[in-house]
Amino acid sequence: MIEVNNVTKKFGSFAALDGLNMHVEKGAIYGLVGPNGAGKSTIIRHLCGVYKQDAGNITIDGQQVYENELLKQRIAVIPDDIFYFIQANTKDMMKFYKNMYPKFDEQLFYKIADCFPEINMKKMVRTLSKGMQKQVAFMLAIASRPDVMILDEPVDGLDPVMRRQVWSLIMSDVAETGVTVLVSSHNLRELEDVCDHVGIMNHGKILIERSLDDLQTSITKIQIAFEGDMPQMPEGLQILKKITNGRVHTLIVKGQPKEAEQALAAMNPLLMDVLPLTLEEIFIYELGGDNYAVKDIIF
Amino acid sequence: MQSKTSFFNKALFKKNLGRTWVVGLLYFIVMLVEIPISYVIDISNFESTYYVESGYTKSMLLKQHFSYISTTEVAFVLGIVLAVITFLYLFTKRDTYMMHAFPVSRKSLYFTGLLSCLLVAIVPILLIGAITSIVATIEGAGAYAVIWYWVLIGVVSTVLFLSIAFFSLMVSGQVVTAVVFYIIFNYLYTLMQVAFRLSASIWMFGMSSVPYFRKNAIFSPIFYIADNCRIKCYELTDDYGNLQEFTTRMVGGKYLIIYGVVAVVFFIVAYIMYKFKKIETVHDFICAPFMQPVFSVGMSFFISMVAGAYISGMYDAMGQRTYSSKFAVGIISAIIIGAILYMITKMMIEKTIRVFNVKNISKCLLYSIASLAFLLCLRFDVFKVENRVPSTDDIAWVGIQCDYTMVFTSEDEINTVRSLHKNFLADKKELRDISVNNPDVGSNVVTIKYKLKNGNVVVRSYNVIDTEDPTVTPTYVAAAEPILDFLNNPTIIKEHIIGNIWNACTIPYMQFIGYRYDEGIKDFNAEEMPFDDLNDKEKEAKYEKVYEALLKDIDQGNVLQTSFGYRDDSANLYDDFNFTVSNKKIEYFSDEMTFEDYDYDYYYSYPQYEQNIYVMLNKDCTNTLQTLKDEGFYYDDEVIITFDEYNEKVGYYDYETYL
Repeated sequence: MIEVNNVTKKFGSFAALDGLNMHVEKGAIYGLVGPNGAGKSTIIRHLCGVYKQDAGNITIDGQQVYENELLKQRIAVIPDDIFYFIQANTKDMMKFYKNMYPKFDEQLFYKIADCFPEINMKKMVRTLSKGMQKQVAFMLAIASRPDVMILDEPVDGLDPVMRRQVWSLIMSDVAETGVTVLVSSHNLRELEDVCDHVGIMNHGKILIERSLDDLQTSITKIQIAFEGDMPQMPEGLQILKKITNGRVHTLIVKGQPKEAEQALAAMNPLLMDVLPLTLEEIFIYELGGDNYAVKDIIF
Repeated sequence: MQSKTSFFNKALFKKNLGRTWVVGLLYFIVMLVEIPISYVIDISNFESTYYVESGYTKSMLLKQHFSYISTTEVAFVLGIVLAVITFLYLFTKRDTYMMHAFPVSRKSLYFTGLLSCLLVAIVPILLIGAITSIVATIEGAGAYAVIWYWVLIGVVSTVLFLSIAFFSLMVSGQVVTAVVFYIIFNYLYTLMQVAFRLSASIWMFGMSSVPYFRKNAIFSPIFYIADNCRIKCYELTDDYGNLQEFTTRMVGGKYLIIYGVVAVVFFIVAYIMYKFKKIETVHDFICAPFMQPVFSVGMSFFISMVAGAYISGMYDAMGQRTYSSKFAVGIISAIIIGAILYMITKMMIEKTIRVFNVKNISKCLLYSIASLAFLLCLRFDVFKVENRVPSTDDIAWVGIQCDYTMVFTSEDEINTVRSLHKNFLADKKELRDISVNNPDVGSNVVTIKYKLKNGNVVVRSYNVIDTEDPTVTPTYVAAAEPILDFLNNPTIIKEHIIGNIWNACTIPYMQFIGYRYDEGIKDFNAEEMPFDDLNDKEKEAKYEKVYEALLKDIDQGNVLQTSFGYRDDSANLYDDFNFTVSNKKIEYFSDEMTFEDYDYDYYYSYPQYEQNIYVMLNKDCTNTLQTLKDEGFYYDDEVIITFDEYNEKVGYYDYETYL
């Protein structure tokens, strides 16, 4: 559905995107994660048709996005900082979206509005709280009946209940319409619950792009203890990180967990636990080798 | 595959109108009050006003009304206000990202914005045209052509300023900067002209009065439209204010076509800039890369030129300086200020104060060298500005202004002045600092102005000193004396100071005021003979005798003589003497008004047939003084006093009398 090939974007001499490749399948919920300054917002602005890449190719459903009105009618965007017209209330914005997006579903809009009863539809949107403005943005985006939804830090500013409600709306929309969702967020625990694919970005590149299942099974945390010192690790075992606490060693191992487990079991450990990694841990370990600044703070 | 995009988006159009209609309404109200309402008030008691008695009709008043009202100032403000409101989203990151994320192309955004702006700007003018036409029909005033020509001027100027505003908004990523650019672009030609003229006036020989003769050119539409695209009314009234003739002209049609085309070009350029605008340049000082060097070099150069000239002028004001020393001070100031400004503009463009890198410093150095080269070219007159004397074929008239103002239109006279000018310039190296090198010799300024047939003006002013002073060099005398000889020729004086009707005129009015000292009040009392007992014919006969005596004095070189030195207050009389020359059949040609380029069409709605002449008499005017006495303008020689005598009695110093 979304194809980004070798995209480069420079701001002056700084390369915000540096030969970026990204592929999002139709109907997927794709989580774009990366540290601050990785280029997430930049690629999102390219996907919305705001920026034009210096090199490379960006297509959605096989069509170039930039300056493509008809294609953009099928894309709904919720940026991190949302824009509303001065003096416009929610109804005014709804009318504007209705004129902009041919598939806009007014009935659906009011149905979703019922989920957000605290929003006064006649009040100027700019005077609503940041959280409420986000809610209005969701109402408008979902009611636009898009084929692709691009969300930049979508639930930032919402309270936990509202976050859950918004995610549930998105999930049900995906289930109902098969909309493709690209979402960038710093809240990895939340993404873990909703995304089926993840792309980890840093320095303007996608470092890893995989389904969440694949990703979670390709890195394993193994806690292991030996009698005496830790023996030489078997060859072929790719250890990303090793932390020793007394006689207990925590290993972050890349590769198939079964193979790692078998290889380590052959060393007759006193204790061995194979634990799944959270997305947050994967993110940190993957970027740990990429000089990610926070690694030492977290450990 | 790229999909087709439209030029127009209805939703956006509605949104634009929703934000700008108030501006259009205000515009409409202002014009409604200014035009139809004001006109209706003017004619509300038409039958009982002096207009009817004077012969004016309602139609004439309506035409007169439109001749006063200019649309340019309002259109200038309206253009930028509408454009800013419509494209305000371009200046904040949040707004511009979202607007460009909507399913609408830049083409659509631009042309929908353009259409909504045009609608809001033009509809009020058209409505005013329609309402005024209805009022004119009801009042029986007609004048539809005038009404709709005014509408046309309004529409073209509004569209033109709107197009410049669109262009300005595409240049910058900051709304305030864009508005500043809009103002700069509108006044650019005038500002450049001022910068060059001011610099030239300080640094170049003969250019000191050039700034005062600036004329609005077509490149300054804000001035040019108001001056040249308008409805002009000509009213000829008799001595009692009764209307003799009333004609109307609608001028400037060809300029409106030119400005209309220019507006289209600006809209196209602005669209191309928007199409290729990088959205990430929002908040940048200049978005269009090609404008960055233009801005850096342009701003640095023009401001540094003006600043250099200003510092040079201040240096000159501290004591008279030679051209070389003024130029040295000016050039150093301009180069230093220019380099500083260049780096400041770089800071503005790059949004950082850390611009002192090899690349920028090299560019700054290059700019400074180019600037220095240009200033040296000025100094050494590479562009042949100082030596320029237009060819005879190009000259409509030439004027010389010193003690008196004279304008010459015949080919012979023009050629004579050109020869005198060339002769003067031949020794410019010696002449350029003549008053500085001879500070104790009386000095004056002589200005030569060529009005060219294409409407342009070439004007030069030179400091000159008294040719009769024993210390002056023969070279100077050879350069300056021929000009004096020409100006002091009696025929030239009569023809150009009294005027073209000097030998075919009557003298309907003459006044001589003598001054007698009164010890009681320690001041002078004015004494004037009213000749109340004489009829007009007897008075005229008296005046003509004095006039004949004055002409005799002119022939003998006693009066109205031009001098390059100080005024001789020991001989010049404090007494007032003036008279009117009149010929009802021959139009009076005013040398002074022609020289000052007064637009007869505009300032004077009818030709002049008489002129009042002031003459400063002196003790050598024996013929005039004797005739004045013989004819009873005064009886006692005590009332004839010189400036020196007056100052001595009153206790003034010489310079105070001048003040």
